[in-house]
Amino acid sequence: MGKSWKTVGFALLTMMLLLQVACGNSNNGGEQTGNKAADSGQTADAGKKVKLKFWDFHSEKEEEFFRGLVEEYNKTQDNVVIEYSTFNQTDYTTTKLPTGFASGEGPDIYMISPGDFMKFSKSGLMADLSSYFPEGAKEDFLPASLDAVTVDGKILALPYELELLGLYYNEQMLKDAGVEVPKTWDELYAASKKLTTDKVSGLILPPDKGPYFNFIWYPFLWQQGGDVLNDEGTASTFNTPETAKALDFWGRFFKEGISPTKLQQGPWEIDHIGKKTAAMQIVGTWAINRAEEVFGDVPINVAPLPIPEGGKAATDAGGWKFAVNGKSKHVDEAAKFIMWAFAGDPERALEWCTEIKFAYSPRKSVVEKGNEVYNKGMRKVFTEQIYDSAIPEPRYPSEVLDVVGDAMQYVMFGKTDGAGAAQQVDGKINEAIQAANK
Amino acid sequence: MTPKRISDRTRNEWVTAYAFLLPNTLGLLTFVFIPIVYAFYVSLHDWNALSPKVFSGFANYKELLRDQLWWNSVLKTLLFTVIYVPSLYVLSLGSALLLNALKGRLVGPVRTMFLMPFAITSIISAIIGMYMLDPRNGVINHLLGFAGIGPQQFLGSTSQAMLSIIGVILWINIGYNMIIFLSAIKEIPRDYYEAAQIDGATGWKAFRWITFPLLAETSTFILIVTMIGSFQAFDQIVVMTKGGPANATEVSVLYIFKQGFELLNMGYASALAFVLFLIIFCLSIIQLKLLSLRK
Repeated sequence: MGKSWKTVGFALLTMMLLLQVACGNSNNGGEQTGNKAADSGQTADAGKKVKLKFWDFHSEKEEEFFRGLVEEYNKTQDNVVIEYSTFNQTDYTTTKLPTGFASGEGPDIYMISPGDFMKFSKSGLMADLSSYFPEGAKEDFLPASLDAVTVDGKILALPYELELLGLYYNEQMLKDAGVEVPKTWDELYAASKKLTTDKVSGLILPPDKGPYFNFIWYPFLWQQGGDVLNDEGTASTFNTPETAKALDFWGRFFKEGISPTKLQQGPWEIDHIGKKTAAMQIVGTWAINRAEEVFGDVPINVAPLPIPEGGKAATDAGGWKFAVNGKSKHVDEAAKFIMWAFAGDPERALEWCTEIKFAYSPRKSVVEKGNEVYNKGMRKVFTEQIYDSAIPEPRYPSEVLDVVGDAMQYVMFGKTDGAGAAQQVDGKINEAIQAANK
Repeated sequence: MTPKRISDRTRNEWVTAYAFLLPNTLGLLTFVFIPIVYAFYVSLHDWNALSPKVFSGFANYKELLRDQLWWNSVLKTLLFTVIYVPSLYVLSLGSALLLNALKGRLVGPVRTMFLMPFAITSIISAIIGMYMLDPRNGVINHLLGFAGIGPQQFLGSTSQAMLSIIGVILWINIGYNMIIFLSAIKEIPRDYYEAAQIDGATGWKAFRWITFPLLAETSTFILIVTMIGSFQAFDQIVVMTKGGPANATEVSVLYIFKQGFELLNMGYASALAFVLFLIIFCLSIIQLKLLSLRK
């Protein structure tokens, strides 16, 4: 008797498990559809339209902008409905997009940063957008901004913002310490050292590994004419005196306690200067609005990044790009939406770059149109003294980013000097390129 | 009539038992066993999560054998375990004994104080730990200042980061383990101590020959669970150091996460995860054997 009950019990268990799996799937599907509907607030007749998923990572004011953009577009469309969802930025690139694409449930429209560009383009997840640009629009874009998203002659993403780096500083602190705004590396080092106290860091640089870490360091390499890879992106050019010098210069700030090796807030937040825990900080154009709106009472100003003796000005131009999933069934519809949003009427691009946040548009017509804003306060410094020296953030494979970050940390924490780190990492970069290209 | 009644009861018991076991069994199958098998399947492929899987046999396993960074991360995990597990054991047992010896109104508040960090989400407590360990404005450096010790870098130093993390995780977990020990100590009949007292065994001797042996099962549970937990430590480390500075706290799980989600080497990350699973499995078996020998 007991044995037969055991068998029945086991069979029931198996049945339940199968049912659970089956129901789980259909439930999941149902839930997702429900969410989608809730996300965009669409009407019942939306069922007949082509639905496009648009995922990004914006919040607050920026999220509202994109939500508004989607609603505006949906109203003009009879056959297409865009469904907008936004996620936490860290999850977005590390887990949300990869798992979405892996399960075939990924978005039709998404955003990509240079650090992830190669990974996604190689997997066919970035559709060729070349033919979708409205007439004359390509010429309106800065050539360098389109080069940065072009692979084998195909434009794989739409750049819609350029974020440049500058040296922000607290004018009062510099004045009190009798320090001039640094223009050279030597001056930057001397000023930061003088401004460092028990409570105030002389200069904030990012201490933790990741794409942002490398992003801030590249200008120091470029200012001397150095680079991580050759022009074709096929071999390392890392083992050079320029790299060694840039690594040593970077490492010195950490080794001498001028720049903290641990930060409580993101190194991209202007709050370090705003809350007077730092005198200077290398950070991007995005910091201007917050500096003005939240820390209006702190005398914050900005200057071009200091350059080494005999070097030339260089800064990094980062920024996210729009991409269309190359595996989507609706590439056409998706591409039309992003072109409408950022390659068409310059008003939308202008609103994004000047009202929602502060960034440069990669489109000449937009920058001209926003002339007044681009010449207001700290923005004028970027427009007049920094903009021309901008180099788009390189789209290296993640493996290359990782080992370059290792080299920077080896020097920061005294494991080796700049020349040693450049030499150690050179071979690894070549290995990483080979692995990425296989 | 009687045998039938017993059989009815047995049947009811069976049904009830299965009904109670069912949700957990399903959960374990869906979220633990099936993923383990699937991870092994993925580990035999070259897969970046975005393109189709390409079968590569045991190539990922061969690669991990010569991956210096992986073995370094395993060493860091072992270092973490070797320091963390005994410290947690001694400190939580010690505080349970002290609390057991306490009498009067103080017992409640002190117990709550110990347990409090455990009641906070691990991420939040890690953030609190981070603020306390801040080199410039942290309370720990402030306190050290009173003792004439200069400011330390803690999480920003390659030599102190791991110890600082262990300190914070200990602070979070001592309370919980202490409560388990405390309830086990309370279970020991008072008669044993009274009998021992008559024979002249008090203090250390009573602990050595009564308390400690009778805590054997609790100890086994705590040691195994803590050891497995120490191999899986992830969230607090991600929050406090992200594996830095200069990879000083990049334990195995963090390295697997980096391979899987930052570099998108899903096949390779699965192979690493499977090897880590085998390491934990073997160590747990060894530990169980050793502890049962002791018993």
